[in-house]
Amino acid sequence: MFDLEFARGTLHDIALAIMMIVYFIRLYWLTRFTAGKERQAPTGRGDTNPRKGFIYSWGNVGMPWAMESTRSKLFLYFQFVIFHLGVTAAIILMFSISFYFKDSPLPPQLALAFKIIIGAAFTVGVIRIIRRIGSKYIRAISSPDDHFSLWLLTTWFLFGYMAAPNNLAGGEWKLLTFFTMGSFFLIYVQFSKISHYLYYPFTRYYLGKSLGRRGVFPIKRFQ
Amino acid sequence: MAKERSHKAQIVIDRLGKKLNRQIVGSLVACVHCGNCTDACHYVLANPGDPTYAPAYKADKIRSIFKRHYDWTGRIFPWWVHAKSLHTDEDLEELKDIVFGKCTNCRRCTINCPMGVDLATFNRMARGLLVSVGVMPEGVAVVSKDQWEIGNQMGVLKEDYVDTLEWLTEEMQMEYPKSPGIPIDTVGADVVYSINPREVKYDPRTISDAAMIFNEAGENWTMPAEDWDMTNFGLFSGDDDLGGGVARRLYEKVVELKGKKLVISECGHGYRSTRCEGPNWAQHDVSFPMESSVITMINYIKEGKIKVDKSKNTEKMTFHDSCNNARSCGLTEEPRELLNLVCENFQEMYPNRTENYCCTGGGGAMSMSEYTPQRLISAKVKADQLKATGASVVVTSCHNCVDGLADLIKHYKLDMKVTQLVNLVANALVIDKPIEVPTEEVSIPAAVTPVVAEAACLQGYKILVADDEPDFVTFVSTVLEDNGAEIIKAYDGNQALELARKEKPDLMTLDITMPGKSGIEVFEILRSDDELADIPVCIMTGKPELRKLIYDRAVKPPEGYVDKPIDEESIILNIRRILELAKSKGK
Ligand code: SF4
Ligand code: SF4
Repeated sequence: MFDLEFARGTLHDIALAIMMIVYFIRLYWLTRFTAGKERQAPTGRGDTNPRKGFIYSWGNVGMPWAMESTRSKLFLYFQFVIFHLGVTAAIILMFSISFYFKDSPLPPQLALAFKIIIGAAFTVGVIRIIRRIGSKYIRAISSPDDHFSLWLLTTWFLFGYMAAPNNLAGGEWKLLTFFTMGSFFLIYVQFSKISHYLYYPFTRYYLGKSLGRRGVFPIKRFQ
Repeated sequence: MAKERSHKAQIVIDRLGKKLNRQIVGSLVACVHCGNCTDACHYVLANPGDPTYAPAYKADKIRSIFKRHYDWTGRIFPWWVHAKSLHTDEDLEELKDIVFGKCTNCRRCTINCPMGVDLATFNRMARGLLVSVGVMPEGVAVVSKDQWEIGNQMGVLKEDYVDTLEWLTEEMQMEYPKSPGIPIDTVGADVVYSINPREVKYDPRTISDAAMIFNEAGENWTMPAEDWDMTNFGLFSGDDDLGGGVARRLYEKVVELKGKKLVISECGHGYRSTRCEGPNWAQHDVSFPMESSVITMINYIKEGKIKVDKSKNTEKMTFHDSCNNARSCGLTEEPRELLNLVCENFQEMYPNRTENYCCTGGGGAMSMSEYTPQRLISAKVKADQLKATGASVVVTSCHNCVDGLADLIKHYKLDMKVTQLVNLVANALVIDKPIEVPTEEVSIPAAVTPVVAEAACLQGYKILVADDEPDFVTFVSTVLEDNGAEIIKAYDGNQALELARKEKPDLMTLDITMPGKSGIEVFEILRSDDELADIPVCIMTGKPELRKLIYDRAVKPPEGYVDKPIDEESIILNIRRILELAKSKGK
């Protein structure tokens, strides 16, 4: 029967298993493409190398000052941070309820922390939806998948916010929806733009390695 | 029912699969359509409100093909992820206008993408795919053909190249009789110097300036008589075979000459192609070191091999970073270090280094005249950057940028000129040695030799100046007359032809756009007329994008070609070079 027990148990496990299988297939698919080899002797500043380049490149996500695109739009950068913290929090919440707090509500402080992070992420999700529809630049590059993924996550945040105490007092529909959406999210991830988390380490690694070898990364700014 | 696909479209799709490597696939799948890169692109900034210039929008035109044929979701639910195939030759033409006409592969969006998506790299790949089925701007076809067949981008013949180097040597030896001039094909030299064909054709002063620096440093150097082109159109056309072939020729030449080091003259795409990408395209491990001439010049100064006096370059100068140098080779500090050593008043431009904006002539844009209007619109960003510096000179370490900047300076009517570091270093050189006593045949006093030679260098020559701008005719005529030439003036094409027939000048300068017959028509008639065909012609035009119209003619190309605005020194240098080469060929 499709109830909360099933949603946070069997359904969740099946979704997780599918996600992991497809994750490894995706990884296998990507690594079947050979990596281009660079033969040239290093150029540029002597104080950098491929290793420093890719470490910088990976760390770039936490350095809003490093790129003009984040430096000049800090509001967007903080939206990015909050949104991704929200995803992480919602996933942890799902696992916490499934494995540790199955039969009891979350401790109040923990529930409050989840509510704050996931609630903030929901607000950012709404802002992002408005931007995706309202900005002609973003609209022009958005596919149905882009819109759907954003709506999916934003709605999931909403239910995550409501589900956070893991309290069945008002009925189980909030938790049921949160878990059902969460499971759908886990399966959908690998077939959508959300799979970018899988590619991120690769793209930034190769770009960083190449630009490190050429003395471009780490970027030095002199203003 | 499956939609029919043209033969070319099918080839492009098949070859796309073979071009994919992990880096490119990563860039094709990782975009999250966040739009962060949008404002990084000069095309977007100069065309506000037009989303079709956004990097991610342009990238999606390539990405959609990949998704439709090589990605899971795109193959099953194409509409869901905007996956789209290519079907007709019109689809290919449309893609051509994006990958060649709306992106200079400057990589500014790349370094501004949080995901590390390298659009410039897969845009180049898409160019290569189109080129492989013959879909490309005409200029790309012409230049690629020249580089394949003649061995350099501008189709400079070996005899013209060697003649020019010998003429430059004679020039140097007139001033300094003991100067070694330009050594050609010396075996076992410490430095083999490779150049951009633009230097031979339009800017020989950069060669003589470099020669002066090498000679003053006491360098054991040489220039190859063949396979000397360090530029590589493969970078722009995306044709790895051309890229590899051109790079390999140069590498093999250095080995054949037993050179110890290859020095690459100031050119962003040449440096990137030869120094960085060439070994990858050619699948060739290079056994000798390669360096930019900027580094060579700094080392000469640091090692005390040459002395410079920065008070000889007093104008307020700014520096433009070539995209290839800055974002693909890390060459940002050395040019500044050198500039600070040879000029008194350096003003930084903002943003700069890896964040600098493209000159808009990059990615081969200068050879694609069909996209000139949109290129010049996008150049507004660079023009504003230049203007804000308040400098009167913009220095750059790239020949391509020299052309791109000169074009936008003219278009936006900026009061600036463009120069390169080699010119500034040569100008700042402190030459301790007394001027050498001229050889015995020259019977005039040593101290006045150069001056006298300069003043009367065009004595006895009759030159026809044809241009519809009276001010320009007056300027060129005055310069030439001051140097001893007899001048005939024409203000339209018909008059130019009539006077050429009547006066049989020793040389003719010709504007391209003139009332009556255009310069192109005049040129073709001249070349087809047995009596006039041998008159050397120097094209002087403000429309560099029309260059290919002249070179595409089925007649002998013009002897010289200079872009306006032009200064006095360049006029004299180019006219003298043409006249003396013509004389040596017995015309
Ligand atoms: S910044 Fe990167 S991920 Fe974002 S739209 Fe541009 S290319 Fe895509
Ligand atoms: S590579 Fe340069 S020109 Fe091309 S889209 Fe990116 S920023 Fe624009």
